[in-house]
Amino acid sequence: MTEAAPIMQDHDTSGLPEGVACYVYGIVPAAWRDVPGDVTGLDDTPVELVVHGEVAAVVGGVTIDRPPGRRAELVAHSRVLDAVADASAVIPVRFGSFMPSVAAVVEELLGPNHDRFTALLADLAGRAQFSIRARYNEAAVLAEVVAEQPEVAHLREITRGLPEEAAYPQRVRLGELVSKTLEAKREADTAIMLDAILPHTVAYHVRAGSDLDHMADVAFLVDVDQRQAFEDAAEAVAEAMHERARLRLLGPMAPYDFVAEE
Amino acid sequence: MTVSTTTQRRGGGYLERPKPSGLADVIEVILDKGLVIDAYVRVSLVGIELLTIDARIVIASVDTYLRFAEATNRLDLYEQGGQSLTEAVGDLQQGGAAKKTSGAISGVKEGVKDVFGGGDDEEKQERRRPAKKASSRRRRENA
Repeated sequence: MTEAAPIMQDHDTSGLPEGVACYVYGIVPAAWRDVPGDVTGLDDTPVELVVHGEVAAVVGGVTIDRPPGRRAELVAHSRVLDAVADASAVIPVRFGSFMPSVAAVVEELLGPNHDRFTALLADLAGRAQFSIRARYNEAAVLAEVVAEQPEVAHLREITRGLPEEAAYPQRVRLGELVSKTLEAKREADTAIMLDAILPHTVAYHVRAGSDLDHMADVAFLVDVDQRQAFEDAAEAVAEAMHERARLRLLGPMAPYDFVAEE
Repeated sequence: MTVSTTTQRRGGGYLERPKPSGLADVIEVILDKGLVIDAYVRVSLVGIELLTIDARIVIASVDTYLRFAEATNRLDLYEQGGQSLTEAVGDLQQGGAAKKTSGAISGVKEGVKDVFGGGDDEEKQERRRPAKKASSRRRRENA
């Protein structure tokens, strides 16, 4: 089942066929050579390693002449990286990145960044990313806003039931107040969540959002031996907030949020 | 680590553990994330468009405010808030049931799903972000 993938050594600069480029999924330690043979990448093509020194690029052939990125390509990118992350430290490369040749991968990517990649991979070893998506129950959180803000309740009373064009300034003001109150709630609730969870993580990254029901999207980098404690803390937060928000936990996955250069 | 078998709920069961393979999740997780090669080496981006989601940009527009106001006005406080809340805000319980508004305000992400063939709601089409535009902006940022 897990037949090892073919390995292209760094002296192998055999050109790809005309019109085919080298799609780069991620970077792994060169010592790891067990890319599962049954994991396929874009266009269901096999995944291979381009090795250079202590690091290797996980690549696949991809035709250059193709329509814009489609669902199947996103899923393939994610599938390969998650399979690799399941077994090795990996630096995920951004979706849609490819280079003209295997030689270019060595000369322009692995070579110049060899030491940086080595250090980053060492840092990521034994760690995985988890992401928590927290979404408010809209009705519950809006009810809180109305109850806590007399001006919101008042404006709501004025504008409710009127045609859309009527009371325009009051409507704008109402929405603005709701927006600001939600922003404050978002910050406070996110802080509560982070206080409970961060002790069990190595790093985190919050993505902002502005949808009405958005509380927070937070990516966490977690040591494998802290995983249980992390998940227990997340469960506790989910339980504490369950009447007004739902929390979804994704992962473990490749550390997509923890490899960007500063 | 097990990547692909995390569906069941654990413990108290309030924390949802969806399979990570849903399209919406995949988009959220991988788009606009990961090592940017072209920040320090040349990379050809011909063919595969890089789409960006500007979800992080909070646009405090009048349009947004009007949508929030609409959602607030649709709320049925009597049903949702219980006694004390009803007393606090007066007798406002007439009107329709609290309607979910996420469909109307999910905007950009739904648009991206459309691009990837994941959605077909015509109402959301006008919120699509043109792929080409997003792509060229991304290239400039990384140039």
